[in-house]
Formats: sequence, structure tokens, C-alpha cells
Amino acid sequence: MPDWRRVKDRLFTAATVALALLAVAPLFHILATVVVRGGSVILRGGVSFFTDPPAYPGSGELGGVGPALLGTLWLGLVTSLIGVPLALLTAIYIVEYREGRLARVARVFTSSLLEVPTVLIGMLVFLVVVVPMGRYSLAAGSIALAIVMLPYTVSYVERALEGVPRTYREAGYSIGMTRAQVVFQVVMGIASRGVAAGILIGVAKVLSETAPLLFTIGSARGSYPTGPQSLLEPGDALPLLIFQFAQTPYSNWQDLAWGAALLLTLIILAIFTLLRLLFREVKL
Amino acid sequence: MSEARFKLLVAPPAIVSSAILVLLFIVLLYYSLPAIREYGLGLLASPTWKPVEGAPGEYGLLIPLAGTLVSAVIAVLLAMPLALASVVFTEEILPRGLHRWREAFVSMIDVMTGLPTIVYGLWGAAVLAPLLGDTLYKWLHSSLSFIPLFSCQPTTGNTILTAGVLLAIMITPFIYAVVRESYRQIPRTYKEAALSLGTTRYEYVRIMMGMAKPAILAGALIGFGRAAGETVAVALVVGNTFNMPSCLLAPSYTVSSLIANQFANAQLYPLMLNVLVSGGLILLLIGIASNILGIMYLRRVRYVA
Repeated sequence: MPDWRRVKDRLFTAATVALALLAVAPLFHILATVVVRGGSVILRGGVSFFTDPPAYPGSGELGGVGPALLGTLWLGLVTSLIGVPLALLTAIYIVEYREGRLARVARVFTSSLLEVPTVLIGMLVFLVVVVPMGRYSLAAGSIALAIVMLPYTVSYVERALEGVPRTYREAGYSIGMTRAQVVFQVVMGIASRGVAAGILIGVAKVLSETAPLLFTIGSARGSYPTGPQSLLEPGDALPLLIFQFAQTPYSNWQDLAWGAALLLTLIILAIFTLLRLLFREVKL
Repeated sequence: MSEARFKLLVAPPAIVSSAILVLLFIVLLYYSLPAIREYGLGLLASPTWKPVEGAPGEYGLLIPLAGTLVSAVIAVLLAMPLALASVVFTEEILPRGLHRWREAFVSMIDVMTGLPTIVYGLWGAAVLAPLLGDTLYKWLHSSLSFIPLFSCQPTTGNTILTAGVLLAIMITPFIYAVVRESYRQIPRTYKEAALSLGTTRYEYVRIMMGMAKPAILAGALIGFGRAAGETVAVALVVGNTFNMPSCLLAPSYTVSSLIANQFANAQLYPLMLNVLVSGGLILLLIGIASNILGIMYLRRVRYVA
């Protein structure tokens, strides 16, 4: 007579392993598909894939994703210029005045932003920035993305600052440093790795977001944002291009979507790898 | 820098950061009001969507709301076994010696969390939807069509079920993270007590999962919130058709995909923008509510050793 407890145990173990492998299997299929389909497109396009605007839809030509790539880089830069100082100073306030009411409100309200669907942030920026300005712009997109970045970077930096042992602060105060000096010279110095991780995670999140851009940057497929004056003009970004081109029936535009997907995935994986190299335990 | 000037430097950013959520709520509410005044409860209860240029059309959010709920519930139901199995796999089944394997597995889950949602969407539309449409859906319809959920003839792979499956893949890492964190906090003494009874692994895991139950519920709620708010990936696979999701093999709509598709041009139609914003307000409330409930469950996980 079989030992039912053992049989059940074996079955359970086998099913668990199978389900766990099934959970990560899509990752490999996605990465393989993106590398194969995107890779062949990028190889076909060569350098012009990175520099040219998309070719005419339905034409045999491929063109490239130059304006979208440049737009994504601009968005990353401007978003960081807005979002990083805002997040760092907010996190410092939350940690330094942790007993105060504003600190508690700031902690709860910023972390709640994490649960807000990002499309609503696009909606908000459309209503309060795009409509009054009368046009889509990369600047509006950057504001939306800075809001998306905020909760990630604040919570990470906050934890890094909290992790600095109290003795270091006390040492700082004991030699007559002001609070500002303790924060910026002692605490931030000790927590610098955690702070850097928070910024990198924020940037990675922001570069991969699509929904906040839907109603904010427009989709200026042909123009290159060359300088700060372009920020007030409509622009394009890789995720937005993928979303819109994937819905078109034109094969050359769908090819560009796959190429852009590979490019975007590589950018995100590069940031992820950098984080892994710099820090041991990192949660995206 | 004096204390007062330091505070003057860090307080305004803290105020700005806190104000964003408040501003979001106020703006969404403000733009929703005209729609609420015009349509009242019909906004939630009416399945009609008839845009009219130059006059208020007939708008009800019933179908997209149902689509959001159905796709998010499917996602949680499918993701939960995957997430729990992954927790058991990394915490109990992989032998202690295979540390690198565990790290590798956790890294994969982390990459899944970080992978851009638009990449999931592109893959979902080009690979997953046709695959499911040609195989699973045909089979479900031919052999299980007596169940109302599978009674409609599948025409394409872009259906509410595909949205649910894709969302399940996307939220599994989130549920995994919530449950694993809590599972690891179960005190050693409990584990040893269970093992000392001579439990098999299956019996042991059942006891442990019982203890982590609040975290599992929290994971389900947080996963639900994520799934309900996801936009672009769903918009690419859900079919974007005003169709009650009573049959899972037909295309439908979700609130977020409706917003993604219609919001940019909504200003051309009187009140359409307001109706879409009120849909956004509902999404905001779903997101916040599921998160608050989730955190409340998580607080209940307090192991006294």
C-alpha cells in the first residue's frame, strides 16, 4: 500500500517547481522574442536606426527611431533635474523631522503615489499643464515623469538615510556641526550608495513609462529635440513610439517598434546591472 | 546654514511632494463633477457609449468598469498560484547549498518587475494573443462552450481573457515580493515546531502558508490594484470594444485602456473628457483602497515568537 503522505508530498513538490518555473518562463520568451525580432531590425537599419526618423508608413523603407531616442534621453535628463532634488529634499525632511505632522503626511502621501495608476498622472499633467500651455511638450512629459519618479526615489533614499546609525549624527553634533552640515556632509555621505540606488531606480522606472506620456508630449515623430528650446515643443519617446507603432498595420512601423523595444530593454537592463554591481540587495 | 534656513530649504519640497496627491484628487474630482451632474448613477450603470459632436453624448462606464474588474480578478487568480509556488520554491525547495540558484531566480523575478510594461504589451499583442487565440480559446470554445464564460466564438486573440493572462504575468512578481517578505519573517521556532512533528514538506508548507495568510491577502489586493491600473499593455491586447465581459473569449474594454484610447481626442466631444476623468477618479479610488486594505492586512502579520 502506497504511503499517501509521501505521494502527496512528491506531487506537491513537483507541482510547485513546475509552477515556479512557469512564473519566470514568460521572461525568457519575452527577452528571446525582443532580441530576435528587435535585433534583426537594428542590424538591418544599422546606424541609421539610431539616427533617422521613421520612414513613411507602409513604404519598404525602415528609417529609424532617432527623434524618439533623443526624446527619451532628454526626458530622462529633465525629469532627473526636476525629480531628483525634489525627492532628495523630501526624503531628508521626512527623516529629519520624522516626529512632525508634515513629515508623516509627506511619507504617506508620497508613498501612496506608488499606487496611483500612472495614466492618471498623465491625465493630471494634461489638465493642469498641457491645456493652459495650449500644446504638448517634452517639458510637460518631464513633469509627469518626475511625479512618477518621486515615490520610488523618496522611499529608497528615506530608507538609506534611516539606516545611518545614530552615533554618526551625534558625533557630528558633538563637534558643533549644524543640522544642515550633519545631513549634507555626514548622513548623505554615509548613505551615498543608497541615495545613488534610489536615483538610478527612479530613472529606470521613468524611462520605461508609457502612460504618463500619452497625453503630455504629443508624438512629434520627425523633429529632433536639439536643445533646451525644444523642451517647449512636442516630442517623442521610445515607449510611446512602441505603443503607437504596435497598433498600426504597417510592417515597417511594427519593425521599428520591435527595434525600439530591444533598445529600451537594453537601457533598462543596463541600469539594472549597474545597480546590481554597485549594491547587493536591490529591489526594483 | 542655520536650523531655520535648513528647514526653509527642505520644507517646501516636502509640501510640494505631499500636495501632488491632493492636487490629483481635487483636479480629477473637479473635472468629474460635470459628468456626475449630467449622468448621475448612469455613469456607473449604463453600458451605452455614444459620442456626439457638438452636444453631450450618452456615456456610461459600466462596460469598461466590468472589464477592469474581470481582467484584474482573472489576473490575481492566475498569478496567485504562480507567486506562492515561487515563494515555496525559493524558500523551501531549493536546497540551502544552491545559494546561487536562489539568487538567480530572485534576479529573474526582479527583472520581470523592472521590465517596461510596454514590452509586455508588445509581446502580448504579437505573441501571446495569437498563440492563445489559435490554441486555448479554440479548445475552450469547442469543449467547454456550455459554460457561459466560454460560450462566444473567439475571433481574435485580443480578448478580456488575454488581458487577464498578460496582467497575471506582470503582477506575479509583485505578489511574490509581498508574500516572500512576510514568509521569511515567520520565526524560526514556529518552523522548528512544525518540523518536529514530523511533517512532510507539503504539510509543513501548508502550516507556514496558513501563518502567512494575511500577507497572501495583502499580495492579492496589491496585485489587484496594479492590474486595475495597468494601461498600455492592456490597451494592446484587450480588443478595445464596447462589449460586456460576460464571455471571456470576446474583446472588451477596461477603464484605463478606454482613457488611453480616447482621452487625447475627448475634448472634441462635450462632456466626454469629464466622463473619462471620472473613470480615472474611480481608478484612483480603487488603487488607493486596495493599497490601504493591503497594508492593513500586512500589519496583522505579527509573529510573536
